[in-house]
Amino acid sequence: MGKKKKRAVEKVFCYYCDREFDDEKILVQHQKAKHFKCHVCHKKLSTASGMTIHVLQVHKESVTKVPNAKPDRESTEIEIFGMQGVPPEILAAHYGEEEDPSAKMPKVEAPPLVGTTVTQNPLGVGFPPAYGAVPPVFNPALSVRPPMWPMLPRGPQQPWFPPQQHLSIPVPPAVPTLAPQLQQPLFPIQNMIPGTSAGMGLQPAFQVAAPMPPPAVSQPLFPIATSTVVSGPTNNGSSSGLVNANNPAGLAGVSGTATNQGLQPYASGPDTRGPSTGAPPEIANKAPTPANQLGTSEVYLVWDDEAMSMEERRMSLAKYQVHDETSQVSHFSLCFLSNAPFSVIYCTVDFNVASKIRYNLLDQIYALVRKLDFLENVPP
Amino acid sequence: MAFSSLTTAAPNVNPNKSFEVTPSPSDSISSLSFSSKANHLVATSWDNQVRCWEILPGGSSQAKAALSHDQPVLCSTWKDDGTTVFSGGCDKQVKMWPLLSGGQPSTVAMHDAPVKDVAWISQMNLLVSGSWDKTLRYWDTRQAQPVHVQQLPERCYALTVNYPLMVVGTADRNLIVYNLQNPQTEFKRIQSPLKYQTRCLAAFPDQQGFLVGSIEGRVGVHHLDDSQQSKNFTFKCHREGNTTEIYSVNSLNFHPVHHTFATAGSDGAFNFWDKDSKQRLKAFSRCPSPIPCSTFNADGSIFAYAVCYDWSKGAENHNPATAKSYIYLHSTQESEVKGKPRVGAGRK
Repeated sequence: MGKKKKRAVEKVFCYYCDREFDDEKILVQHQKAKHFKCHVCHKKLSTASGMTIHVLQVHKESVTKVPNAKPDRESTEIEIFGMQGVPPEILAAHYGEEEDPSAKMPKVEAPPLVGTTVTQNPLGVGFPPAYGAVPPVFNPALSVRPPMWPMLPRGPQQPWFPPQQHLSIPVPPAVPTLAPQLQQPLFPIQNMIPGTSAGMGLQPAFQVAAPMPPPAVSQPLFPIATSTVVSGPTNNGSSSGLVNANNPAGLAGVSGTATNQGLQPYASGPDTRGPSTGAPPEIANKAPTPANQLGTSEVYLVWDDEAMSMEERRMSLAKYQVHDETSQVSHFSLCFLSNAPFSVIYCTVDFNVASKIRYNLLDQIYALVRKLDFLENVPP
Repeated sequence: MAFSSLTTAAPNVNPNKSFEVTPSPSDSISSLSFSSKANHLVATSWDNQVRCWEILPGGSSQAKAALSHDQPVLCSTWKDDGTTVFSGGCDKQVKMWPLLSGGQPSTVAMHDAPVKDVAWISQMNLLVSGSWDKTLRYWDTRQAQPVHVQQLPERCYALTVNYPLMVVGTADRNLIVYNLQNPQTEFKRIQSPLKYQTRCLAAFPDQQGFLVGSIEGRVGVHHLDDSQQSKNFTFKCHREGNTTEIYSVNSLNFHPVHHTFATAGSDGAFNFWDKDSKQRLKAFSRCPSPIPCSTFNADGSIFAYAVCYDWSKGAENHNPATAKSYIYLHSTQESEVKGKPRVGAGRK
């Protein structure tokens, strides 16, 4: 397509770190958690200036740079909220770069692709889900597919890595057709596709070759994991040194796992240490093992309560606590007057007891009371 | 179809065009079990019921029987002879229900807290139940007292049995492995390879290891033997956009024939994977509600999954008036569940 896409359809991105997001709501959450968060008390503010003012007034400290921002975007002066306030030249630079590769990709990619479709099957190397693990993955791709490699260094390589992380929604459906064809090329191309929303333009090119490969789609996912395992041991080797220094009993999962029987690092070893925002403090991914922490991957867990499971949370609802579901009143009291002056016996029966038991109890109480025959007002 | 709004709640509740099991339970489904002898499906639900259907060839279902507990039912399993169903739940009991013979249910197990998982060990003729009271109890169904009570470090969150391998996942991310030939001793206790709360477990069909799934959209493949440790790995799944939302993996099930496995998550999607070639064999469309549980039938031709709210977003996101629960049956195709050789290797 020669038409320029509307800006609104492009992914929103964060001014401070250039990461892309599907929608602005998530972008705002990201900014609050990464850039507008007080480093002292972890309070999330809504803007950079708000955060600096808070730190100054509450903690008496001066903040000059926006945390986790790229070197030329660290200014606290510029007022950014979501996509609002982003200077036009930054916008142009960001989106302008996106369009370049897409224009060039289809032409160059298609011929080699067609030739290689049937010969090789997905190396199984990477696939959108290769999220934080992309960088290491490229190595295998490099060795196997030199012709493809040169594509990458072209222009906007950088925006791909971060962006590629978020764009997996559109990709999966497209992947089934893509995967068989683009084996290694799958690799670099995939990064491009997610990276550039204009990468949508790429897909038609691929679909040309789509009918060729058999429909059997194996969508490699794990291999990324394995490739990082290769690099994993080295990482974990060093980190476990660090970790062992920490209290091994600590809940930092890494320490536990690293010390236990030398368990092999989970493929996404480095990654699992990275994600931290959604996790409660116990997991302590943030503090220990800073050496290998991939601060870039941000995690938003849908269920993030480590203290209880979903079923336990549901069971804690009031409606499940009451045994006798029909009872509304919590208890009722019986009052027996005795002949002796000023003495009253109160008996309280809780309605929460199942009705059968409740009535049995009442019968027993009446029987007992009747035996104490000095009492009046005893119902028969 | 005209899209009137860009809401994410897709109106299509059955995007995979699976067969629906009717009548569907009125509240969320907590577990699904198929009999090993016939296509009888049991579903336990938060509406206190245990229901049984017969699944006929062609995908239609016929409701056969139902059993009531006093509180929500959390787990179920069939006895290996396909005649009896065990179900346990928040009433802290496990009931044995010889439904094929039309018998009455009886209570065979008691705990001090809700029973989270049950399993029938045919080789020992015992029922094992794991509960939030931090114990694992073994029951001979004829006696009221447990044959053995095994203390757990924390509440039991997941249980998987494939004789003689049994793995229990507890709330503190411990995974305790037992050799059922010596059930009184923990064979091994490891911390979960995943950094987040354990949600589900599945033992390998060859008992060499197990899968563990967590709330963080990740599954770990773990081999017991130290010499096979290099084959351990984890992978990410059930994530949207990779940085935006990470869903819990609610269920892991091995295909009985091909030994590939399925994962189902809070994102409402389920996938089939091959751990040996480390590939995803098939991804399915996301349903509008989470999938809290799933299971294969005895020969692997049917994959049953429930689509209903699993509380992953708390009570606020539950609207009892509009919440619907469905059970779907997916007829598995050979290409989806048959393992594939590792691509890229061994191809000349």
